[in-house]
Amino acid sequence: MKSVTRSDIVQVKCKINGKEYTGVAEPRLLLVHFIRDELNLTGTHIGCDTGHCGACTIFMNGKTVKSCMVLAIQAQGADITTVEGLADGDKLHPIQEAFWENHGLQCGYCTPGMLISGLYLLQRNPDPTEDEIRRGIEGNLCRCTGYVNIVKSIKAAAKKMQSEGGKSAQQM
Amino acid sequence: MTPKKFDYYSASSIGEAIQLLHDKEDAKVLAGGQSLLALMKLRLAAPSALVDISNLSDLSYVREDKEYLGIGALTIHDILEHNQSIKKLFPILTDAASKIGDQQIRNKGTIGGSSCHADPAADLPTALAALDARFVIHSGKGQRIVPATEFFKDLFETAVGHDEVLSEIRLHYLPPNSASAYIKHSRREGDFAIVGTGVVLTVDSGNVCKDIRIAYGAVGPTPLRGRSVESYLKGKTLDDKNIADAAERANEGADPPSDMHGSKEYRLDMMKVFTRRTIKMAMTRLK
Amino acid sequence: MGQPLKRKEDLRLVTGLGKFVDDVKLPGLAYASILRSPYANARIKKVDVSKAVVLLGVICALTGEEVAKLTDPFLQISPAPANKVKDYCLAVEKVHFVGEPVVAVVAETRGIAEDALELVNVEYEPLDHVLDARSALNPDATLVHEQVGSNLVFHGTWNYGDIEGALKEADKIVRAKLHFHRFSSTPIENNGVVVNYDRATGFLNIYCNNQMPMFCIPWLSFGLKFPSNRMRMITGDIGGGFGTKIISYPYIALICLLSMKAKRPVKWTEDRREHMFANHGNERSFDVEVPVKKDGTILGFKVDAYDDCGAYTRYEPAGATIWAQVSPGVYHFSNLKVDFFQVMTNKAPVGPNRGYSRMQHLWMIERSVDIVARELGLDPSEVRLKNYVRSDEMPYVTPSGGIYDGGNYAESLRKAMRLIDYDGLREEQERARKQGKMIGIGIATAVDSGTNNFGQVKILTDDNPFSGNSEAARVSIDGLGQFQVGLGTVPQGQGHETFAAQIVADEFGVSPDQIAVLMGFDSAINPYSHQSGSYASRSAVMGTGALLGASKKLKEKVSRIGAHLMKTKAEDIELKDGNAVDKVSGKKIPLRQIANVAWVNNLLLPEGMEPGLVATHYWKPNFTLPDKKWRLNQTLTYSYQTHIAAIELDPETGKFRILRYVIVDDCGRQINPMLVEGQVHGAAAHGIGAAMFENFEYDENGQLKSNTFIDYLVPSAIDMPHLITGHLVTPSLFAPMGIRGVGEGGGTPLGAISNAVEDALAPFGIEISDSHQNPQHIHKLIRDKVSKSKREN
Repeated sequence: MKSVTRSDIVQVKCKINGKEYTGVAEPRLLLVHFIRDELNLTGTHIGCDTGHCGACTIFMNGKTVKSCMVLAIQAQGADITTVEGLADGDKLHPIQEAFWENHGLQCGYCTPGMLISGLYLLQRNPDPTEDEIRRGIEGNLCRCTGYVNIVKSIKAAAKKMQSEGGKSAQQM
Repeated sequence: MTPKKFDYYSASSIGEAIQLLHDKEDAKVLAGGQSLLALMKLRLAAPSALVDISNLSDLSYVREDKEYLGIGALTIHDILEHNQSIKKLFPILTDAASKIGDQQIRNKGTIGGSSCHADPAADLPTALAALDARFVIHSGKGQRIVPATEFFKDLFETAVGHDEVLSEIRLHYLPPNSASAYIKHSRREGDFAIVGTGVVLTVDSGNVCKDIRIAYGAVGPTPLRGRSVESYLKGKTLDDKNIADAAERANEGADPPSDMHGSKEYRLDMMKVFTRRTIKMAMTRLK
Repeated sequence: MGQPLKRKEDLRLVTGLGKFVDDVKLPGLAYASILRSPYANARIKKVDVSKAVVLLGVICALTGEEVAKLTDPFLQISPAPANKVKDYCLAVEKVHFVGEPVVAVVAETRGIAEDALELVNVEYEPLDHVLDARSALNPDATLVHEQVGSNLVFHGTWNYGDIEGALKEADKIVRAKLHFHRFSSTPIENNGVVVNYDRATGFLNIYCNNQMPMFCIPWLSFGLKFPSNRMRMITGDIGGGFGTKIISYPYIALICLLSMKAKRPVKWTEDRREHMFANHGNERSFDVEVPVKKDGTILGFKVDAYDDCGAYTRYEPAGATIWAQVSPGVYHFSNLKVDFFQVMTNKAPVGPNRGYSRMQHLWMIERSVDIVARELGLDPSEVRLKNYVRSDEMPYVTPSGGIYDGGNYAESLRKAMRLIDYDGLREEQERARKQGKMIGIGIATAVDSGTNNFGQVKILTDDNPFSGNSEAARVSIDGLGQFQVGLGTVPQGQGHETFAAQIVADEFGVSPDQIAVLMGFDSAINPYSHQSGSYASRSAVMGTGALLGASKKLKEKVSRIGAHLMKTKAEDIELKDGNAVDKVSGKKIPLRQIANVAWVNNLLLPEGMEPGLVATHYWKPNFTLPDKKWRLNQTLTYSYQTHIAAIELDPETGKFRILRYVIVDDCGRQINPMLVEGQVHGAAAHGIGAAMFENFEYDENGQLKSNTFIDYLVPSAIDMPHLITGHLVTPSLFAPMGIRGVGEGGGTPLGAISNAVEDALAPFGIEISDSHQNPQHIHKLIRDKVSKSKREN
């Protein structure tokens, strides 16, 4: 049993984007704040209080979760991917390229979460229909694009990823 | 945005969880956290301690036992949505799970967490009430099994005591010629229901109703069984007229809340509409 | 120009390297949290922060009493007596709406700051409250601000032509009582402010995501009694604004005070719930009379408009004049009387919200036009085609002096009808009706006026110190021949960096990749005017005007240097492919060489020419002041859109879904078609969201029911239909390069959808009088109509 009292600060060690990170957290610290403020990875964003907007979406142990609805302390030993981990050095991930080429973003605030959710969808369903795409990003709100170009971008990403032989889907 | 401070315990077994809950008066169980953490962030809930059971991975399973399908309390909604046994045997649960929130919520929220949170506007409690599910509850004294009719006691209140943990939900297999369905009436797809309706029915030849259970969500403090509808339809042919007449009885026992998405009157009317529609949807699944 | 180029900004945004205000980190940063009023209207009897300030980790607290001593109330632009409203960054003596900031606390972490709020003790004496504009005008109504003596902010009568004559001449007078609801664009990024009061230099360094930071300076400087020349405003990437991030100056002032008191840099990031309490769009109700001829000719409009602006006038009452930008909508009736009342209530103060003040007016007109069609037994497309301003009437002067700068409304409707297969849909509707299914088709055409003339606020008071509009741009070529551009526009996702590069690249004959555009806005670095910012769909037009002006100045200098070096005439120089080319001889010099001479080799410059290659230009459109009848051209450009929505409505539940949705847009010459379409989609999504899902609803105690995303329903991808778009391009007759501002969309979906709903319900004969469609209300309308018919039979 692991026990932490409310005034304790514990060390939280986890792997993010392939790298080992250590930070400190009190029990009530949300994972999104841990990632943004403790570990200085500010690509993951906060847009609401109730777990609706999805701007904070990350991969945690292979699944997409809203990092504002997880405690930092629950990330002990977890394997996390954020938007900063999608590119391979200077080489953008096909989904990042697809969003860029298809104007799938305007202000860019929802984009990190949208990319993660889009990628998760394509990992499980490499050739989704428009309906399946819309359902897959239901938990990611956007107020700029009206979603038309986001759907287009994810479709384009699917094509790119299929022609790459599914390599980029597996890297997560 | 920031919850009030709390102590945190990560239990490595059910027994440990029970002991912790026993020792800490104001502790709450943390499963998926998709309901509880939202309340804590708004400071509408402020337990002084959380007992995190989400690491108890052996509480996540879907098992075909001899007489029932056993679902571990920590099974996430995403698994419920895609599990083939559930889809074959109890599609009402597939329907309900697939409509919860969104993909990220379904990746973390659990059937046990949703049941114990007991929000009447949630989808799983209503579906489980229609299924007459059995809830396996562990305490320091052993384990007991509580049927759905006794499990959901009041708004956000269940039969699970303060120092008890729900470990499994059992769905007894339905007789042949059975079917089930759940329809959520809401404004957007992933919202809480304005009225949620779950139907489980069994017919014999000629579409005569042998047995039927219907449960409604968001029309009172707990999922409501439509006893009057059920008793009307038992023994009758499930044709349009009988279904419509039965639907007129849907409001019995209902005392729905009013809010900006559904007034009491609206919900009462929707209970009738979705009684008809959910029964018909279930019937399309009869072989 | 005209190419769908990829946006420069996107690389950092898709890799998570955007710099939003919550990403700003400074050494010693402390965090603020705000305690807000739980009452709609109450006196503050006592504020006790003594327990809060001793909590471990708390640095200081600030109360309204201190604020009243340290600051002056914010500037008001209302006429008397409404200008007596006292607006401070924390409530002073009284609270006026649920959510009004009352106390602020600064602590080492945001968690501790929030904990401290729970230790603050405020005693209130609740008072009666007033929650709608009409009853707020009753003589015995509760007053929101007692010292004003009334809840009326402004009453104006716009009276053009002869409406009384038109009413007499009419074959029929169509009447309607309509209500436009409260909603907001709720950008995913909330407001945020980081202030570092630097005691060493006496500078207030303000990081924020306000859309018009330099416009805020007078409010901030006078309010804080702090010199404007020591205020530095910095914005980075902004996660959507849509107008809602214009009135955040009270928060900026508050955080400035906190940083000064705490002697630390202070960050405040707004929670979503806080945002919902304090950022709404105008709510407006209308009594409408439309005199018409049997053949569908609209003779005029007579309107009483009651605008509910909430508890404070922060950008208001500008909105009371702004609807007149599009006074007749897209129609050429010339008899128009509007009695406009703007009224305060104990609800959230409103601010500009995408389509600000025009969309309310345009919705009223489009809804009324469909009611006219119905009452005359004509197809709504017919009535529109009959009454549209014709393309050969352009430029068209409206009754209020607006000058529509071109467009073909009839063609936009015809195109939209083709795209959606209007005739086919009408047939399908007939067939569906026979089966008891309810299909509805709704049309709306709206003008999207852009680039505003601030002179419109002189309608409120003659001496309101605002008029015209302006924007600044700086183009420079450094010593190595590299381009850099600085703009005053404050982008929130509109792609300014991209279009600026496109324009300058075209002017100088280089590739857009060679242009480095400064990202974001910093008043110490960017050129600006005090009207700079991104609002009123003006950035493309204003930015272009300023960029062209700066480019022209710089091109001139480059050409003169090139001519001097090549010993030719400046008029013969053309800039192409990175060279200055003498058109006559074909000789050329690379820009790099000209830059070298200008900066470090200046003895080779022409006689008397100063070194350097920097040109700044402040551009203003040609506007006029209002005349005695309040006539003036209030905006420079008038984009327009026609939307058609086809829906299927479930009469048993009142819920409906969109079957098909078409938009035809004309924003003149398009700088970047990809960006234009993105704006069209986004504006449509806001309108569809507002029509179908989003509503700020208050209960009878003035409590805001929809204060989180649980109840304020933002459409997700699955709630939004696919949008079919088409375009017309009729260049603006007035704006630089024929471009028009695009982006607000005029709230057109609100008209198309309310018209579609009424059309679907036609078999019941139900009139839709609200801009927001809630299934339970539609259901009730049907039920009431059906039981009424039963009783009557």
